[in-house]
Amino acid sequence: MTVDTVIFFISAAVAAFGATMMIAQRNPVASVLYMILSLVAQAVCYVQLGALFIGAVLVIVYAGAIMVLFLFVIMLLNLRGSEDLGGPSTPVSLTTKLLVPVLLVAELVFIVRSAFTEAASTGIMAAPEAGFGEVASVARLLLTRYLYPFELTGILLLVAIVGAVVMARRERGDEAGGTGVGVSASDRTPTGGSD
Amino acid sequence: MEAQLPPYSIKMMLPELFLFVWALVVITFDLLTRRKSGSAVGYLAMLGLVICGGILSITGYGRGFGMMFINDPVAVFFKVIFLGAAFMAIGSSFGITNRKIVNHRGEYFGLILLSTVGMMFLASSQELLSLYIGLELTTIPLFVLAGFFKDDRKSVESGIKYMIMGALSSALLLYGISFLYGLSGTTDIVQMKINLAVTQLANEGDIGVILILATVTILAGIGFKLALPPFHQWAPDVYEGSPTPIAAFLSVGSKAAGIVAFVKIMMLGLEAFYDPVMKPNDWGILVGVLAIAAMVWGNVAAVRQSNIKRMLAFSSIAQAGYIMIGMVAMNQYGLAAVGFYTFVYMFANMGAFAIVTVVEDQTGSCKISSYAGLSRTSPFLSAALAVFLLSLAGIPPLAGFFAKYYVFAAAIAMAGSSNGHTWLYWLVGVGLLTTVFALYYYANVIKTAYFAREASPYRLRPLRPALLVIAIGLLGVLIFGVVPETIVDFARDLPYYIAH
Amino acid sequence: MVPISAYLILAAVLFGIGSVGVLVSRNMIIMFMSVELMLNAANMALVAFSRALNLMDGHVIVFLVLTIAAAEAAVGLALIVALFRNRESVDIDRFNLMKW
Repeated sequence: MTVDTVIFFISAAVAAFGATMMIAQRNPVASVLYMILSLVAQAVCYVQLGALFIGAVLVIVYAGAIMVLFLFVIMLLNLRGSEDLGGPSTPVSLTTKLLVPVLLVAELVFIVRSAFTEAASTGIMAAPEAGFGEVASVARLLLTRYLYPFELTGILLLVAIVGAVVMARRERGDEAGGTGVGVSASDRTPTGGSD
Repeated sequence: MEAQLPPYSIKMMLPELFLFVWALVVITFDLLTRRKSGSAVGYLAMLGLVICGGILSITGYGRGFGMMFINDPVAVFFKVIFLGAAFMAIGSSFGITNRKIVNHRGEYFGLILLSTVGMMFLASSQELLSLYIGLELTTIPLFVLAGFFKDDRKSVESGIKYMIMGALSSALLLYGISFLYGLSGTTDIVQMKINLAVTQLANEGDIGVILILATVTILAGIGFKLALPPFHQWAPDVYEGSPTPIAAFLSVGSKAAGIVAFVKIMMLGLEAFYDPVMKPNDWGILVGVLAIAAMVWGNVAAVRQSNIKRMLAFSSIAQAGYIMIGMVAMNQYGLAAVGFYTFVYMFANMGAFAIVTVVEDQTGSCKISSYAGLSRTSPFLSAALAVFLLSLAGIPPLAGFFAKYYVFAAAIAMAGSSNGHTWLYWLVGVGLLTTVFALYYYANVIKTAYFAREASPYRLRPLRPALLVIAIGLLGVLIFGVVPETIVDFARDLPYYIAH
Repeated sequence: MVPISAYLILAAVLFGIGSVGVLVSRNMIIMFMSVELMLNAANMALVAFSRALNLMDGHVIVFLVLTIAAAEAAVGLALIVALFRNRESVDIDRFNLMKW
């Protein structure tokens, strides 16, 4: 029972705990906070795996930016969870909905254990090369061998900006709900074709 | 660690880069001219697609960036399909953009072009990471486009629904990719194929279990994109809620993108595992089951629809099932049949949706009953609709018949060739049965248009770009029904390139 | 030393919790976050494999996947903003995604 193992078990437990609490909350703000907890625990696991840079990036980008964006939207729209459970929570539908993921996880765990028992579960791995997981190594790969996916991701970010701005911007005369974008379904009027 | 830039050639990526820049030009043009421009923005977008096609035709074959970007006949074939689908989607959109989204025309056309750029990058990828990014680049604009009618709650909800399904499918796909990376140590697809085969032979099935897991999750991810049952729940709602040209683009472009992703990962990467000898990794059976589910469920559910967009959604699910039959037949005819089917399906489906857009624009309704008697007031449109639906149903001498013929022939040839694949006969049998069954709901629409008691109160006058789209669709369906060999001969070479 | 399979099992468990969240959740924010959790599970698997193989490619993949997840989240949340902008109520109703 080395320190490594203890740290792993604690952070794995916290990660799973945070994830489970996240899906069970009624208040969306609490969900986001539990997700952040889970992410920080996962970052600890990353650091244990030698991924120093990626672990830091996970906390900074994911917990620090994406989850904060979630919080921002929740608070902007003043979203509240529904007061009652609502919807079909009959025993049958709930059982089927829980059964599939439980089976899935059981299968995954079984498969992973059975397939990796020889090689990996002794716990002895080759020591990582010098500079494994550091910023310089990631950057070296990112800007040489993986330059093409890197640039593609840049295009993707541009597309996301355009899409997000189109969707979220406030139109002129938006207060009363009438804008120049789209017409509600009941309002479609036939027109003659003209060019 | 070496820090060397792989050999690259911008010339190979010219069509994609051009279209990307053109999309930005379209957005900026609309920004600068706003409402003064009339429909010029749309025409600008269509012009960009035509020029891109021209550039594509003179770009030779070769590698664009190390082992990651390749422009080979497979890529070119599918890029033509993507460009065609985008062209026809934009052509059908003029009615909508001139009336409903005057403020955001540039973004609408720009996002369609950007999605097409993503599809083209996807078709050229030889590497898992760039394939994944291409797939994301394809779907993220489509989330926005599906929800583009911001005031129509149904539209935004369908955008959100599509977004969650898209994110779910990409999470599944990534999980599968992570296992493939872990087992092979590389993300390059050809190298991965070699590594996996070597490891499999060395360990005698030790990695087989993990590989099944990876295959299942990847198939689930792609199954969501292609709307194969049981992952199809989102499709009818999203098609119904989103703007009709976007539903058309989803049904053709997004499906073709899913097919290319499938071909790259399964046929190229996991090719070694499609073999009875390599059981239990034979993914052919899994795909066969998905195909049967798609054909049966899609066709049966389509019968009960009264909304034509939902009917076409279920019909698209079934068409994806027929394409999957071609996938399972991994002989030299299989990929050719898949390519030809997708090509023909593009013409018929985009054409049918174009007509639905015209009807929806000018009558405000998507119900099949509102097509009653249309043949008497708009004979050309009714005839075109009949031709498109009959091609989808697979009636000779239209191209759809040959598409189905080639797919079934490929499966039968594969079934007869080796012992482990006799179940393919059953697959073809189900395909034939469902084809006959499907005729019912296609014919139902035609019957409503032609044999209603009274003539329709609407006289449809489609816009000129929409007429162009319908004409292109008709030409495609008719010409390739008469001379399918032109395309099929080209497509026959495709498996050769896949194997290398 | 902790074996690699332990990390893979953790990834599988997180993936499963995420999929439970997608199926059972009652509002779309949590559904979306569950999908992000599934993406993170895949990231964990990638980092674990990267360590086992002693190759840095996995880290680069995770880096780019994080970027993509951020872009997806931005667009998704913009859609949600568009949905709720014109509505009277602010309750997130049960979102009937899977009609069985």
